[in-house]
Amino acid sequence: MKKISVFGEINLKDNKIEQVSFELISKAKSLAFEAEKLKQGVNYLVEAVFIASYLVDDEIKKAYKAGADRVVLIKDSVFDEFYSTVYANAFLEYFEKKPSEVLLFPATIKGRAVAPRVTVQLDTGLVADCTEAEFILKNDNLFFAPTRPTFGSELMATILSKKMPYCATIRPGVFKSEFKYQDSGEFEEYIPVSYHEDRIKLISSNSEKNRESVDFSSAKVVLCGGYGLCENKSDEYYKKLKKIAKITDSNFAVTRKVVDFNLAESKYQIGQTGSSTQPKLYVAFGVSGAIQHIQGMKNSKTIVGINIDENADIFKYCDYKIVADAKKVIDDLLDYFDIKQ
Amino acid sequence: MNVIVCIKQVPDVDDIKWTKENNLDRSNMLSKINPYDEYALDFAVRLKSKFKEAKVIAISMGPKQAQDILNYALAKGADRAILLSDKAFAGSDTLATAKILAAAIKKYCPDFSLILTGQMAVDGDTQQVPLSLAQLLKIPELTNVFEIRNADKNQAIVSLKLASVVNIYEIVTPCILALNHQCEQSYIPKIDDYIRAQNIPIEEYSLHDIGLDKNEVGVIGSPTMVYRAYRPETVKDTKEIKEDYAKRILDFLLKVDNK
Repeated sequence: MKKISVFGEINLKDNKIEQVSFELISKAKSLAFEAEKLKQGVNYLVEAVFIASYLVDDEIKKAYKAGADRVVLIKDSVFDEFYSTVYANAFLEYFEKKPSEVLLFPATIKGRAVAPRVTVQLDTGLVADCTEAEFILKNDNLFFAPTRPTFGSELMATILSKKMPYCATIRPGVFKSEFKYQDSGEFEEYIPVSYHEDRIKLISSNSEKNRESVDFSSAKVVLCGGYGLCENKSDEYYKKLKKIAKITDSNFAVTRKVVDFNLAESKYQIGQTGSSTQPKLYVAFGVSGAIQHIQGMKNSKTIVGINIDENADIFKYCDYKIVADAKKVIDDLLDYFDIKQ
Repeated sequence: MNVIVCIKQVPDVDDIKWTKENNLDRSNMLSKINPYDEYALDFAVRLKSKFKEAKVIAISMGPKQAQDILNYALAKGADRAILLSDKAFAGSDTLATAKILAAAIKKYCPDFSLILTGQMAVDGDTQQVPLSLAQLLKIPELTNVFEIRNADKNQAIVSLKLASVVNIYEIVTPCILALNHQCEQSYIPKIDDYIRAQNIPIEEYSLHDIGLDKNEVGVIGSPTMVYRAYRPETVKDTKEIKEDYAKRILDFLLKVDNK
């Protein structure tokens, strides 16, 4: 039977399956349904492949519930440390024995390191960082057709591969994980030929103080400051916005340009090279709406934009627009709080 | 110690104009060195100041105009500049590009210690070429490199900053390092540097020179192909708020809280 395989990512701290893996498994499942509808007699099995030293049953169950028909655990203690060479070799070794037609990798740091090594070795194509994926029927043949943003997301490109397997890395946070399937299925434990990476050694690992990351994934309200809040290279209005965020129990965020000009720390950055977020309310203060930023927030439920330029790109994505100086609006907001306090 | 730096000429993405047919409007477009590749170049040149015997070799695949960024690399301090240019290379995807780079490196600078690249190119942002090249050359890699702390003929000490953690690695050469952070000592070339650079000829190699088959490169040699391209459009029924801005925003904030 044909297979869609998902390269499942695991958090090495607790050996739990990363959320993105479930997103890919559920997407693979809906792709399998899509293929069956498009072409009669086509059947795709969804396989989740995990590379780890161990995986507890509860985690495996979750993979089935997300849509996996089959779970493979490639098992060895060497996987407690991540090296792209080690992971790619293990995956390739398994793949040679049980090949698939479609391979999906998460577009995470690990996924983006393993996937090219695997596809180069298979001499096939790899489509990077996809935000959409479908099957299309061409001349009665099914093609896997992933779509990715390119040129700073100014253009969406749907890319086909002339070679099999069809491979893509899929951006995290784009597809929804759906735990609605049965909680059991096929299982295989695969012990690979042990391979060590002795050319790379971790010498030290330190947490940086004051640089703790911000978790935007569960944010309810995000108040984002764009470069439009900057006046005379001062970070005054970012501080003010941060204060409002604190008072209203919201998340403070900024755009890339603000970080580039050292007006706020990079942990607050939303966008393609920062965090993604989909809060119930997203208010953009002086954000121009560069497409890289839009990618990180466009799935927010309600988007309010404030910009002095009535033609600002951000307004194309807003449910509510306010053409005004965002700095003034911030000052007015602060006045409200002063009165209240 | 030879340090190869792979550089790419990219359109200035902040200044992209599109034609009605969704093609890049190249008529007024500015091109520049991919900023991440400049980070790599800066680190390479910095290594030269530490080790007198270090040589920096800049390589770019692209049309003839890519000479501009190679001249820039020479002015910054590169010792050699290699342009891989051939009509047959046009339309190469990441796999074909990596094959071209790997073939050229094997032939024209095989005794390298380090290959430095940018973490990504701002136009494509696939981040796939460094890894593909590493696989083809059978060497290890570290990506998202924040800083090259030290390097010699045998090893490099680099730091990676991921989320809130700084990891320091020792990696044996030859290896590939993909930089995602600016080097603190970025050197801006002066007029003298450009004059010196003019005296270094850019080596130019074709498909025939690097010894690949035309079926391995360009559109033919690329497994992936663009099936359709479109500009993302969002159709939103945007309502304009015309007064009491701050008050209305407060209302939004309160409404969310009550749900």
